[in-house]
Amino acid sequence: MATVSAKPPLTSVAANARTDNSRELFRRWQHEGDAHAREALLREYMPLARALARRYGRSSEPFEDLLQVASLGLLKALDRYDADRGHAFASFAVPTILGEMRRYFRDCGWAVHVPRGAQERALKVRDAQEQLARERGRAPTVNQLAEYLELDAEEVIDTLQAIQAYETLSLDAPRPRTDGDLVPYAETLGYDDERFELVELDTTLTAVLGHITPREREILHMRFVEDLTQTEIAQRVGISQMHVSRLLRRSLEQLRALAHAS
Amino acid sequence: MRAELRLALTNRPENVLVVRQALTGLAGALALDAIETNDLNTAVTEACNNVVMHAYAGAEGPLEVDVQVRARVLCVVVRDRGIGMQEPYVGGGTGARDTLGLAVIDALSSCVGFACPCGGGTELRMEFPLPSDVALAECGDARGRAAAGEALLTRAVLVGALELRIAPSTLARAILPRVLSALAARAHFSTDRISDVQILADALAAHAGASVLAGELALGVTVTPRNLTLRIGPLPAGHAQSLVLAGADGLAPVIERLTDDRRVAPADLGETLELCLVDRP
Repeated sequence: MATVSAKPPLTSVAANARTDNSRELFRRWQHEGDAHAREALLREYMPLARALARRYGRSSEPFEDLLQVASLGLLKALDRYDADRGHAFASFAVPTILGEMRRYFRDCGWAVHVPRGAQERALKVRDAQEQLARERGRAPTVNQLAEYLELDAEEVIDTLQAIQAYETLSLDAPRPRTDGDLVPYAETLGYDDERFELVELDTTLTAVLGHITPREREILHMRFVEDLTQTEIAQRVGISQMHVSRLLRRSLEQLRALAHAS
Repeated sequence: MRAELRLALTNRPENVLVVRQALTGLAGALALDAIETNDLNTAVTEACNNVVMHAYAGAEGPLEVDVQVRARVLCVVVRDRGIGMQEPYVGGGTGARDTLGLAVIDALSSCVGFACPCGGGTELRMEFPLPSDVALAECGDARGRAAAGEALLTRAVLVGALELRIAPSTLARAILPRVLSALAARAHFSTDRISDVQILADALAAHAGASVLAGELALGVTVTPRNLTLRIGPLPAGHAQSLVLAGADGLAPVIERLTDDRRVAPADLGETLELCLVDRP
C-alpha cells in the first residue's frame, strides 16, 4: 500500500548530548540559571520531541497537540537532567517525554472511552464512503478513502474496525435513499415471514430466528440469499454500508451464540 | 494462562501495519486499554522498522513476530535472519543502545534483550506487563506446533505471502478480522468486500476451533491485486469440507457465499482448505 507512512530511520540523537556545546549549555543553565542556554538546549533537542510525538502518537489526537505535550516533556527533562551523572541526555529525555504523552492520553480519558477525535473520524469515513460509492457506483477502496480524507491507510483501516464497535454513533438514523426521500425503516421493510427463506431451517433455528429483528433478517436475506452487495443493501434499506456490515456481523454472532446454546 | 501468536512475513514496510493490526486485536482480547495498546504497538513497530530498514541491507528477507501471553506478562520476540547486529544497534561510537528506536522500546517495555540465534540474524525480545490475569483458554501442548515453524518461515518468504498462527484458536476472533482487513485493503478491495472479509474472518474464528490441530489455527495468506487467497490448516482429513459447511451457521452460507472459490488440498498432516476471494471492479 503506497500510502502507508514509512517511519524515519532510527537516528543516533544521543550523540548530540556528548558534544561539548550542549555540555556547556547544560552547565550554564543548571549552574548559572542562564535562560538563554535553556532556550538553546530546547532548540537543539526539539527534533527529539518531534520524532517521539510522531512515533508514539499514532492516534486520533492532532499532531500539533502531541508535539506540544512532547515539548513540555522535553522542558521537564531539561530541568531535571543531571549532567554530572554522565548519562547521555537523550536516554534520560526519551522516557520523560513518553511519560508526558502517556499522562496526556490518560487525562484525555483515552483509557476509558473512545476519544472524540476517533468518533469524528468514524463519521467522516462513513460519510466519505457513501459519497464515493454514490459518485462512482461502487464502494471505494481504503486507498481512495485515505486520499479523499487525507488520512493514512492505517487510520482508515483502524476506523473501519472501530466503527463496528460504536453503538453510540448515530449510525441508526434514517438516511436519504437513492431517490432522495427520507424513509424510516419500518416503512421500507414491510417484511413478510413467508417469503423469508434462508436455506433450510431446522426447527431449532426457526425458533432461534425469533431473536433477530425483522430488519436484521431482511438484511441477512438480501446478502446471503439475494446476493446483493452491502452497498446495494445500504441503498435499499437507507442506512450506511458500514451499518449494514455491523448489523450483519452482529446478527450472525447472535445466531452462532444461540445455535451453540441450543 | 498461555496463548501464542506467531506471524511470519517479509520485511516489507507494509507488513508492519499487519503486525500492528494483529497486536491491536490481541490487546483487545487481553483487555489492554488504549494507552497500553499504543505502548505495545509503538515498541514493536520500532523493532519491526529496524528489520525493515537494516536487517537485509536493502534486500528482502523474513520478519518474524512471536507473541507469548503468560500470567501477567506479554512477551514479544521480533526476529530476522539478516546480517546480524549492525547499525544502528551497534557502532557509531555512541554505544550499542544509544539510538532513538531502542530508547523508545526501552522506555515502553518492562524488559528488553538481544540475542543472536545460531542460525544467524537478530532477535529482539521485549516484555510488557499485563495489568491483571486475563481469562484466556489454555492453548494446549506447544510441542505439536514447534515442528511446523521452519516450514512456515520458508513459505512466508514467497512474495506476498504471510503466515499466521494463533493458539488458542478462539483468540482468532479478536485478531483475524483486523489482519485480514489490512490484507484486503492491500489487495485494493472495496470497503464492501473488506466488510465481507471481516464477516468471513468471524466465521472462520468461530468454527475453526473444532477442526484445528493442537488447538492452533494456522493460516497462510497470499495477496495479489483484487485477490486474496487464504490457506487454512493443516486440518485433519475430512475437516476442510466440514469447516465450509459449519460456516453456514445453519442459516446463512457465510463461507460459501463470501468466497469465490474453495479447494481442499492434501497436506503433510492432513489437508488444507484454500479459500479465494476476488473483488471485481
